[in-house]
Amino acid sequence: MSRTKFKKRPAPGSGGILGLTGYFFRRSLLNIRQNLLINVLAVVTITLSFLIVSLFLLVFVNLEGAGEIWSEKVQVTVYFERELNSKEFAALRNVIMTLEGTDAVTYVSRDEALKRFRTRLKGQEALLDGVPSEILPASLEIRLKQAYRTSEAVEAYVSRLKKIPTISEIQYGEEWVRRFNTFMNFMRFAGALLGGFIALAVLFIISNTIKITIYSRREEVELLELVGATRFFIRIPFLIEGMIQGFCGALLALLILAGVSWAFLNHAGNFLLFNPQEAGLVFIPATFCVAIVATGVLVGFVGSLTSLHRFVDQS
Amino acid sequence: MIQLHNVSVTYQQDVCALNGVSLMIPKGDFVFLTGASGAGKSTLLKLLYAEIAPSRGQIIIDGQNISRLTRSELPYLRRSIGIVFQDFRLLPNRTVMENVAITLEVLGLGRKEIADRVTRTLKQVGLEQRMQVTPCRLSGGEQQRVALARALVNEPKILLADEPTGNLDDENKARILAILKEANCRGTTILVASHDRRLIAASHKRAVLLDRGEIREVLDEPH
Repeated sequence: MSRTKFKKRPAPGSGGILGLTGYFFRRSLLNIRQNLLINVLAVVTITLSFLIVSLFLLVFVNLEGAGEIWSEKVQVTVYFERELNSKEFAALRNVIMTLEGTDAVTYVSRDEALKRFRTRLKGQEALLDGVPSEILPASLEIRLKQAYRTSEAVEAYVSRLKKIPTISEIQYGEEWVRRFNTFMNFMRFAGALLGGFIALAVLFIISNTIKITIYSRREEVELLELVGATRFFIRIPFLIEGMIQGFCGALLALLILAGVSWAFLNHAGNFLLFNPQEAGLVFIPATFCVAIVATGVLVGFVGSLTSLHRFVDQS
Repeated sequence: MIQLHNVSVTYQQDVCALNGVSLMIPKGDFVFLTGASGAGKSTLLKLLYAEIAPSRGQIIIDGQNISRLTRSELPYLRRSIGIVFQDFRLLPNRTVMENVAITLEVLGLGRKEIADRVTRTLKQVGLEQRMQVTPCRLSGGEQQRVALARALVNEPKILLADEPTGNLDDENKARILAILKEANCRGTTILVASHDRRLIAASHKRAVLLDRGEIREVLDEPH
């Protein structure tokens, strides 16, 4: 007798590989229906877990957005003792635009400076009555590209700017830039740390939830082994179930958050001191949403795989 | 068909469940394993479907030494053996039909073929009217017949049954015995563990008496 007498490949059914795939999906959906309560509990747990992650991401995305808006204030101002004519401005602008990091250059005449000053003194404009525009200097406001708004990059930019012969007096609010960068770095670090902890906790919760759903069906796993099911045959429906649970949990979390977020953006203005829509608050970007759902599927798959390893491979 | 050569099973190093058992069961035979509780009947059946491994000795099934089978080969051995468990092991949230279909699903058969064969087998055991109910709505005798149908639906070469008539009334016992005999007539080798001496006497089949893990006596088929 040959040693591999019992090793016969199973007939792949009437539909071949497609039939087997169809069987696995049908079986997974049936299993979910037949073990509805435990599956609903698992999906609810996964939903709540992903809700925490998504809420954190939403806050983080909006803080980053706010940081970007604040960073617009990082700009370099070059002062002149006299007004520049249009030819001089155009020539200087061309030189400055060739500098690495320059985003835009705006000329602020003495009249424009006085006008701005008046706007700032709203309600007390009378203080400036009779004050000639000549007391204020003309200036060039240089807006920097996003990547050049750190204190080191601004300092390097200013030292390049100083090499232009017609430029002597430069201001860029060193202290403000430094504080702003420190705050943004702290926020990113704290966000990554907190996000990391939340992600770990969520992975732990989801993986254990899936373990419980599989553990509650260990008799089924044992029976399948005893009637001659291969490990592949036992595992696939459980893996599909895990992925469906992860997908549904993550999607539900996003839908709930989108609903709450929509309600907040549209109605919170009624009882808050500011209008959230005008404040530039946004929902999680679409790519992040796709990533969250994909993570749900992946976590469902890995959670099932590790649990099955315990019940199938070591039985 | 089934050969055991000097097989011993020791649990936790010093508890001896089987001791030097040698037995030969030819193809198409119908044999009872009998003895008191703890005699080693269930252990012997578990050895044959490789749920446990012998501490010593060789087990040959259909010419194959099952101790040498790899993990990936084990499922293919089990597909040639139908098993009726003492506690039935029916899945409570699946219908009778789905419980029986499991045996065929692992073979990868198509839906229609599975439905046809399951229906035919359930008719044989008299449960065609109960196909869509879950096991909790069945009597003990009916549950036992579902377990039998699950074991027989793929027409296995060997059927192992552990106390298939335990706790059943005489009518149900006779019914189970009749189903087993029918399967035997179709060529399935049958090994039944039972301590029910009346059932064994009524069956007119060979019986192997186990006592504290050893074969005490082989009672031949009465003529």
